[in-house]
Amino acid sequence: MNRARIAALPSLVVLLSLVLAPPATSQTPRHGGTLNLMLREELSPGFAIHETGTISTVWPAMPCFNNLVLFDPLKKTESVDTIIGELAEKWSWQDNFRNLVFFLRKGVKWHDGQAFTSRDVKFTFDMLREAADAPAKLRINPRKDWYANIEAVEAADPHTVVFRLRKPQPSLLLMLASGYAPVYAAHVPPASYRTGCVGTGPFKLKEWRKGEYVEFVRNPDYFVKGRPYLDGLKYLIIAERGTRQAALQAGKLDVAFPGETTKTAAEQLKKAVPQLVITPVSQNVNDNIIMNVKKPPFDNPKVRLAVSHAIDRRALVQAVHQGGAVVGASLAPKPWGFWGLGEKDLPGLPGYAAKPADEKAKAMKLMAEAGYTPDKPLKVEMVTRAIAIYVDMASFVINELKLVGIEASLKQIETAQWHPMATRGDYQIGANLTGIGPDDPDANFYENYGCGSPRNYSQYCSEQVGKMIDQQSQELDPKKRVELVYAIQKKLEADAARPILDWKIDHFTVWPHVKNLIPHQSIYNFGRMQEVWSDK
Amino acid sequence: MKTYVLQRLVIAVLTLLGMSLVIFTLLRLAPGDIVDILFSTAGYVSPSEKQAIMKELGIDRPYWVQYLDWLRQIASGDLGKSYRYDLPAWQIIRPLLPVTLELAALSMVFAVALGVPTGVISAVRQDTGLDYVLRIFSLAGLSMPAFWLGMVIILTLVTWLQWIPPLTYVSPAQDLKLHAVQFLLPALAVGYRSSALIMRITRSALLEVLREDYIRTAWAKGQGGRVVIWRHALKNAMLPVITVIGIEFAFLIGGLVVTERVFNLPGVARFLVDAILWRDYPIVQNLVMFIAIVVILANLLVDMLYGVLDPRVRYGS
Repeated sequence: MNRARIAALPSLVVLLSLVLAPPATSQTPRHGGTLNLMLREELSPGFAIHETGTISTVWPAMPCFNNLVLFDPLKKTESVDTIIGELAEKWSWQDNFRNLVFFLRKGVKWHDGQAFTSRDVKFTFDMLREAADAPAKLRINPRKDWYANIEAVEAADPHTVVFRLRKPQPSLLLMLASGYAPVYAAHVPPASYRTGCVGTGPFKLKEWRKGEYVEFVRNPDYFVKGRPYLDGLKYLIIAERGTRQAALQAGKLDVAFPGETTKTAAEQLKKAVPQLVITPVSQNVNDNIIMNVKKPPFDNPKVRLAVSHAIDRRALVQAVHQGGAVVGASLAPKPWGFWGLGEKDLPGLPGYAAKPADEKAKAMKLMAEAGYTPDKPLKVEMVTRAIAIYVDMASFVINELKLVGIEASLKQIETAQWHPMATRGDYQIGANLTGIGPDDPDANFYENYGCGSPRNYSQYCSEQVGKMIDQQSQELDPKKRVELVYAIQKKLEADAARPILDWKIDHFTVWPHVKNLIPHQSIYNFGRMQEVWSDK
Repeated sequence: MKTYVLQRLVIAVLTLLGMSLVIFTLLRLAPGDIVDILFSTAGYVSPSEKQAIMKELGIDRPYWVQYLDWLRQIASGDLGKSYRYDLPAWQIIRPLLPVTLELAALSMVFAVALGVPTGVISAVRQDTGLDYVLRIFSLAGLSMPAFWLGMVIILTLVTWLQWIPPLTYVSPAQDLKLHAVQFLLPALAVGYRSSALIMRITRSALLEVLREDYIRTAWAKGQGGRVVIWRHALKNAMLPVITVIGIEFAFLIGGLVVTERVFNLPGVARFLVDAILWRDYPIVQNLVMFIAIVVILANLLVDMLYGVLDPRVRYGS
């Protein structure tokens, strides 16, 4: 044996020991234990996921329910390739993506013992799309647009359901895989989900003590054998942010709330408790500027474009988010999301020149063309929600606008008034935050840029963009669809339809004994808890 | 005495009626309603759907009809239905009451137990080192908001002991020791500020009384210091102190809002803020009425105590 071989021996031994050693016992899922999870506010309206658009409901209600399909909880990046069956054992696209057939699992029971059948699926989706003959109606139906392309839902037999579409829409499957798309029980009135929860999910509701906690216990009849691993979940409602952090630090909470931990907070936590596991992940929430295109002065495209050129996004990320956000267009940028324009695609779009001074000069030139000069500045009222994260961003933007001759005064709007005001278009310019359910172009474009959509606060309406949105939605070739989605994003930014300023990054925090809780690029889709186990 | 109490109770009922009108009006003056908030969580508003929900909740009716309906409900012992929870308001409010009452009572006990003795010591040892130390201690209490002190307590416990008090309500039947810990720390945070005020009033009232002729006479008669201070001087100095305790109790209920939030106690005060933000009128209206009743009763108790402490006080017919 020569010297080189002898020298390589220790490395070989280490390598062999790694290859041959049995998996560490700590990585073998264990049954038992209860996790304490953070909630920052009361569930409203209860467990009625279909009647709300807030993570404060979706996160604690998801363990009670199942979808037809779901994004694989163990895969961080969601895409059509990571969708797995839940209540649907398998599914099949037919007639060139016009019919979606689900073959349902047999032997699934609701928490009250009744059998799950195709009737429940038809009931849920007829209610959501507000079919003429729907047996029930939701009090509030925020995602009706998601299901607008469904022409009919047919329960062919107790274990087969067919979704018939008006036009091909491969994206429908992604929306059905979101935490926002659970199946309700047909035999339970939808209003009862505001006070309780009858689902098929891995956990059954044990107690909801108002303002204090929501407690779930393992569903012993769950259709996936051996799941869930945990005996229970307890979501503790803690309104005070400092107390939430202290509780996490003290180990009274095992899991932080998604979207809760900023970069600065994460650094403080890591310093105090080095063993905490902190994962930077996209929240799928962006900061954006809404400008009312129906009212002067923002009915003038030059003024809108000047606003977009004026705001230095990279400076905003540093100043307002201390680096805890990334720049991007209307879909979350790579690698945080799947569809968004990356850093290399942004130069050339308004606001992304290498030198911020160049952008400011362009903005001033556009303002001058629109008839505004330093002697005759544009005076506007900027509205924002009276919440710190909104106000901080708005203050930065106002300062940027001042540099190009736009004098904006800040008006803070209380939460109760914010959406009514934005939907009515009763404003000139606003600093806004937008959260998106699944990281999918259909879910985002139709909702926020579609002509006539109630969440299209800017009321931007372009026939050309509308056609492009429809085209990408029906495009069956994934590569071509990505190209179309990129083109739409560039067009939206070039039109200053709703200038995107940044995408927030969450620093999702758990204690090391929490296993298999993998944060996804959308905070709305990974709360099922079926695969989560505790190594405590 | 009976007539006086009766008079006060009649006035209390009128006060509550006035309060009911004020809170009802103020709530309606605040922009937005529960339906706006419900839509806010969904991110859009539909005027037709909004109208349907308003009708369902009965808030599309004229204000005076809603007001009279509320009074009728109170008179019949029905507090209405929470808009937010879709449950009877009493079912929501009932578990909150003992938490807040216990915390308020404990805070007051703590404030009196700390404020009166330190006030006496400070007056008796006027202008000594001990007096200065106690005055600084009381000034610090006045300067520290209860929520700040509460947060400092929590952060100190976490940093030094890696421990914080329970985050959900622990009943005495479940674990008496843990229950005591859960309530003592917030009571300390709230009571410290009140104790500082009580200490300063006790000190100044006692200093005034100690200069009275009858105190000099008591000293001249050779009575012991304990008898002179605690029996003759303090009893006569207590009227302003009792008044301050009554006023502080009313303020204290307001102070509990943030303390309950910081210590995550499920009490009336924390819930009230949430209910206001959600424009949950039945909950807000009834909680405010509850607080008003507590304050009115506390003031009545203080007025009754005047007669017990000072025989010269007579209650007119």
